[in-house]
Amino acid sequence: MPKVTFITSTGSRTTLENVEGNLMEIARDHDIEGIDGDCGGVCSCSTCHVYIAQSWQDKLPPTEELEADTLSFNDNQQENSRLSCQIEVTEALDGLEVIVPESD
Amino acid sequence: MSKKTYITEDPFKDDRAQCPIKVGDFQNGEKIPMLLKLKDVRQAAKDWQTFSSDAPRRVPIPSEEELRDVRQYPIELNPPEHTKFRKLVEPFFLRPKLPEVQAKIDGLLGCMLRRMVAKGTFDAVYDLAIPVQSYALTYLLNVPEEEGERWISWGVHVTRAGDGKAKGSQMEDYNRMMFQQAKEQPGEDFYSALNQAEIDGRPLTDEEKEGFAYLAFAGGRDTIIHTMTGIIAYFAKNPDAMTFLREHPEAINTAAEEFFRLAIPLTHIGRVCPVKTNVQGHEVEAGGRISLTWAAANRDPEIFPNPDEVDLERKPNPHVSFGFGHHNCLGAHHARAIMRSFLAQFPRLVSNVQVVEAEPCMEVEKDYTRQIGFNKLVVACEPLGKTSDNGVG
Repeated sequence: MPKVTFITSTGSRTTLENVEGNLMEIARDHDIEGIDGDCGGVCSCSTCHVYIAQSWQDKLPPTEELEADTLSFNDNQQENSRLSCQIEVTEALDGLEVIVPESD
Repeated sequence: MSKKTYITEDPFKDDRAQCPIKVGDFQNGEKIPMLLKLKDVRQAAKDWQTFSSDAPRRVPIPSEEELRDVRQYPIELNPPEHTKFRKLVEPFFLRPKLPEVQAKIDGLLGCMLRRMVAKGTFDAVYDLAIPVQSYALTYLLNVPEEEGERWISWGVHVTRAGDGKAKGSQMEDYNRMMFQQAKEQPGEDFYSALNQAEIDGRPLTDEEKEGFAYLAFAGGRDTIIHTMTGIIAYFAKNPDAMTFLREHPEAINTAAEEFFRLAIPLTHIGRVCPVKTNVQGHEVEAGGRISLTWAAANRDPEIFPNPDEVDLERKPNPHVSFGFGHHNCLGAHHARAIMRSFLAQFPRLVSNVQVVEAEPCMEVEKDYTRQIGFNKLVVACEPLGKTSDNGVG
């Protein structure tokens, strides 16, 4: 079962093992600071914005147009920005590190 | 489950299919280009330099220059001032995310709904939605629940009567009194916090404090009330939606977002062009306004497949019912907490709801008419478990 690590803007690291669901839900259920997921994961609010290292990009689901649009209005957007609600954790993402930006 | 059309129509459907902008004719002959497509609305909402909110009493459409004297804070400001002012009240608007406040909201909804179900027939506007909104706001402002009793008498819209005219100063007078009381007996409430707040090293002026309080009451009032009654009216026509939510509680969040998208009472909000601006071929003079037409953007078929249909599991659902960008709705957490609680509890208490009498609340402008909710919605509810033994809540 996959494990993922969240690194918050204050540098705190939380590793969670045997996780399932999408990254936003996992973060919210474990009170990861900076991932709010206010809209519940429908790509409306952008409060689950994260950065994911380039080395993982080919294992992630592709960024759909609506997600890209929502992200494009985010002040802290980078090339490796994603909405964590759009990333379902699979075995292929075992060991993933997720960086939480400063609040947007 | 099968998808059904929402109860209110989209008056911008034909206009939006022909052109992304409709020039609306508003009070005093003001011509306002209305952005009808989601991407355009989001883009403009983010671009505060071109489309400014630094416009006291002119952010709402129609303008509220004849309705009120105070400027609303922080909505009628631009960054960076807006950011500083917003931070002062943000802790209160985040309160609905606290487990103890969520529990109070759940308790309130449970109590009110059980009372209504026991009553059998009730007006969803005055007997349910207004009291729920009023008491829930006491949790946000952190004032005694009894204050909500006074607010209930203020009706659906705290500032405007049915004809759109000013309702008088009951709410402003009340807020002034509350600020004075909080000065004499400071506590942990919204009024005391604003009395003690500082901006750029100085205390807030009375006008600023009253502008914050004005928005706290006006912004979340009719919006929550109309959304809740809109959902009840939809359930009356589509009882299978209640069955679905009862059997699929995991869909409560997506269902709430879908009802926010479709039942949005706030048709639009304005922005002012500080200089002459060409908005997709329409010249707006310096000081002229545009409309971010949330209600039209929420039914943009390029973004939302089958936009008039209710899909309780719609995902993605990038609606703009809470605005977009810097000014996104401060009360969104509050609205979500109330509506999720309502959607979780109502179908567990009620098996069937029938409309006995409905008086729609219509927004009538020269160029469009839109149903934004109900002035009256008398319904009869059949409790779940009355005919079967499914158990309640």
